[in-house]
Amino acid sequence: MSEQHRYMKALKCRECGREYPLAATHVCEFDFGPLEVAYDYDRIKKSLTRAAIESRPASMWRYRELLPIEKEPTVGRQVGFTPLIKADRLARRLGIRELWIKNDAVNYPTLSFKDRVVSVALSRAKELGFETVACASTGNLANSVAANAASAGLKSYVFIPSDLEQGKILNSLIYGASVIGIRGHYDEVNRLCAEIAGKFGWAFVNVNMRPYYAEGSKSMAYEIAEQLGWKAPQHTIIPMASGSLLTKIHKGYQELVKVGLIPESHPKVYGAQATGCSPISTAQKAGLDFFKPVKPDTIAKSLAIGTPADGFYALKVMRETNAAAEDVNDDEIRDAIRLLAETEGIFAETAGGVTLGAAKKLIECGKIPKEDSAVICITGNGLKTLDAVSGHCGKPREIKPSLREFEALLTQEESARA
Amino acid sequence: MAAVKKSKVRSKNTSATAEIRQRLWLMYPPRLIKKPFIWEVGHQFKVITNIRQATVTDEIGIVCLELSGVRAEVDAAIRWLEKNKVNVEPVEIGVIAG
Repeated sequence: MSEQHRYMKALKCRECGREYPLAATHVCEFDFGPLEVAYDYDRIKKSLTRAAIESRPASMWRYRELLPIEKEPTVGRQVGFTPLIKADRLARRLGIRELWIKNDAVNYPTLSFKDRVVSVALSRAKELGFETVACASTGNLANSVAANAASAGLKSYVFIPSDLEQGKILNSLIYGASVIGIRGHYDEVNRLCAEIAGKFGWAFVNVNMRPYYAEGSKSMAYEIAEQLGWKAPQHTIIPMASGSLLTKIHKGYQELVKVGLIPESHPKVYGAQATGCSPISTAQKAGLDFFKPVKPDTIAKSLAIGTPADGFYALKVMRETNAAAEDVNDDEIRDAIRLLAETEGIFAETAGGVTLGAAKKLIECGKIPKEDSAVICITGNGLKTLDAVSGHCGKPREIKPSLREFEALLTQEESARA
Repeated sequence: MAAVKKSKVRSKNTSATAEIRQRLWLMYPPRLIKKPFIWEVGHQFKVITNIRQATVTDEIGIVCLELSGVRAEVDAAIRWLEKNKVNVEPVEIGVIAG
């Protein structure tokens, strides 16, 4: 891996294509377009073979030539390679021939796909000499930065809105992160954090480290393709917050074709949003190239970004792959969380409810054909959003410590079922 | 000069007289697309306006703008735009994630 740095070529503006050195920077100085990592795919093709990958440990780093670090990963070496589950019971309920669940609800160490992007951002931050890392988050990202920074011996700052629920704050405090609650509206916190990122010279994972951070999402696509027997799925349904995950999963499939690891096909990537925060799906349904900013109002807090940074690019990818977007309301999100739990034994967070709910609609309306095969991306664990389903799952029945009472209860249940 | 409320976009340098540069996305709702806000900003405030990208459709107007000047003037210009219902975001939109 001493030659790993040769696989990354430069940071490249997604708008004008201008190239920049591989530093901690994220915006093109010419047109303020976002920067993205560019690779030398010819060189990667020579060393990254199926045999090489399969000989490596089962983590996201088995595809390390396609991830933006120079040396061996130093943070989150166990992250990724989460299960891809053939969901036959759920497939029957949705009426589709074949369905798979990519289950990042059990990703290591903080039970969400954010561990992928954070381990890349922090590994790169260490390579660039940073000792302090930071993020602004209401949940999964904060937990992941706090946990991964702790294990890497990095100092971490986590910025949150001050009215965030206590449970979510504890999930970052426990790792020893400096958690700063900022009084103000969500968008005010957002803006202050953009300023802080520019002023203090820390590795702010989704600001100045964003080009590297975002690349971590591609590993989900690599794993799906390998776990399907080295092929891209026909349809992938992906939750959209900023829209970055969707664009990176698409990029991941394309890269595997480029380096000769999978045959060329035309995988379609579909976006899922909550109706209470659906700027991208609303634009997609209306046939627009641009989204209109919205004020979020949904139980799917992890997807509640009213001004999605990669919304434009997510729309472009859906258009290019001839796919679509869909959104679901809060009741449909809860129903989908229960459906996944009851059919496949997977408890997803609200974003998972959004993705499954949207997939259900896309299959019902025929945008995803029933005779095809699809992959649903579950990105976080239901234990993180218990409040969203609390009071919507029924209650335990209570009985006295009496066998007779229990038998009476069973009889009652059987007659109710009949 | 327009009445000043607390702005959502603050400058990096805390001194009111320091020269600063802000990189912003301005998003106009359809009913405001024809308004010459950037021209007005340049006349009402002592700021340099530098457009880097722009897209106008029937649905939305989006301008990527660099504003330079002393902090107090840049902040006042941003507050004036917000007061006129123009959505003003730093170029790093979506910093706070789930």
